[in-house]
Amino acid sequence: MPMVTRPNFLPGLPNWSRKTFFALALAAICFAFAFPVLWLILTSLRPESGVYYVHRGTEFTLGNFAEVLGQERIVEAFINSAVISTLATVFSLLVTVSSGYMLSRFTGPGARLWFGTIYVFRCVPYISWVLPLYFVVQSWGIYDSYIGLLLPHIAVHICFFSWLMKGFFDGIDPSMEYAAMIDGCSRWGAFIRVAIPSALPAISALAVLCWLFTWNEFLFALILTGNRVPVITVVMAQFVTEMGLHWNLMAATAVMALLPAFLVALFGQKYVIRGLRI
Amino acid sequence: MFGEQQRFMLFLIAPAALLMLLFQVLPIVIGANASFRDWALYNPKKTWVGLDHYHSVITDPAFLYVVLPNTFLFMILSVAGALVVGLALALLLNRPFPGQKLVQTILLVPLMVAPVIAAIMIRWIFNDQFGIVNVVLEAIGFDGQPWLVQRWSAFGIILLTDIWLWTPWFTLLLLAGLQSLPKEPFEAAAIDGTTTWRVFRFLTLPMLRPVIVVCVVIRAIDAFRTFDIVWTLTGGGPGRSTELFSLYAYVLAFLNLDLGRGSAAAIVGGLIILVLGVVMYRLVDRIAKA
Repeated sequence: MPMVTRPNFLPGLPNWSRKTFFALALAAICFAFAFPVLWLILTSLRPESGVYYVHRGTEFTLGNFAEVLGQERIVEAFINSAVISTLATVFSLLVTVSSGYMLSRFTGPGARLWFGTIYVFRCVPYISWVLPLYFVVQSWGIYDSYIGLLLPHIAVHICFFSWLMKGFFDGIDPSMEYAAMIDGCSRWGAFIRVAIPSALPAISALAVLCWLFTWNEFLFALILTGNRVPVITVVMAQFVTEMGLHWNLMAATAVMALLPAFLVALFGQKYVIRGLRI
Repeated sequence: MFGEQQRFMLFLIAPAALLMLLFQVLPIVIGANASFRDWALYNPKKTWVGLDHYHSVITDPAFLYVVLPNTFLFMILSVAGALVVGLALALLLNRPFPGQKLVQTILLVPLMVAPVIAAIMIRWIFNDQFGIVNVVLEAIGFDGQPWLVQRWSAFGIILLTDIWLWTPWFTLLLLAGLQSLPKEPFEAAAIDGTTTWRVFRFLTLPMLRPVIVVCVVIRAIDAFRTFDIVWTLTGGGPGRSTELFSLYAYVLAFLNLDLGRGSAAAIVGGLIILVLGVVMYRLVDRIAKA
């Protein structure tokens, strides 16, 4: 509420000291939030010999990144993660935008039933369906393959994203669609040419979230993939046990895994914040 | 048989419904079937054993006295912590100050970090020999602690990691909520010279309540099934003392190779959260209508 003059915080103090206090507190909070990531970046830049004394040395190197990128399995994991996240985002949007639209624009028993189904399945813990899903994908012969990881990833977001999408469409006035239909547009035309363009900010927000969620996902990949389709989160977790002593290499891999997510989020932040506000 | 409108509705949800049927409903049915059978991964006899697996899960002392209390404690503390910090940060970001955009970007950093990577960072920071926390503690004259091999410190670190990860989520949604509140009541309060605390307590909090409740419900359901950070930080250890529900079911099915019992555990947990979810949904509904 920028226009309102607020009652002052700590009213007895002079203005400059209040400002300094505020700035210091803010800096401390930001530091606390960013510290783990900063520390990881610092560790990734230390040579093998200096990694245990990150706080002391002054030697820095990019060698860790070169060494990690020389490992075929890690490069493969990065490519797999990127491909699966991108495909999952595209298909997941195709499926959930229309389902969210249905939830928002229709009332009556059909819509209520679908909403109830979505809410109930949203509550089911992943582990309850991922354990037996292992058998399903094995019996269909798609265990440890792209498609076997991609389809469950699309399925997992249906509930949450339909729910969010319903909220977004609720915030958009449907009268434009009615007007289009009176002018001779079919229902599909009204949905595709009128509703979707006006929901574009929200859809962008959803795309960013979906890409991040899939890139960061671990449990599905752990259970549904073996050696043929390594993805980055599983490879990282294996690192902790197998390469427990090479913290510099681990940190370098982790930094590279963070990088795409950061870029997506940095460019997408605008859409996420705008999208969630509708 | 169907009118044009029904056909349209059906087409809109058909792809989503089909995917859910194949990858959620079908596995759940198979899991339910497996939970009644003697289904070891190395020897799938699949003989019917009735409720034996359920009985052994709900009478397992590890499940009753460690896993369930851990899960509920974790759920409550993690949601409460992230809510309090997230709300404070949302209030902070809601007033303009120089550098606000930068601060906002920094505070949203954890949202982009994969839980597995967060767990690896925290593991390194709390490493008992070389972690920065122990180095600093020793430098100022305290003893370093083996953080991740003591039950309560390990639990605390898992909790802290989770709060760090999910606070931005609360901040984002609550900030969006704050910015959509009407301005008039706040202007009236300012004219009357109301204190900051009273504005917060009697205006902001009640008006924000629907948003808060929705955030809490979504987050509570997710916190119940936390897996990644526990797996990477402690693997459920020391012993099994930091195991949460998802890890318990995973260990039964894939490390003890007993899919039948693992499925039974997963279904028991699923039923618990389903009941909680329905109760919470009722609550949200009532609050939203009030």
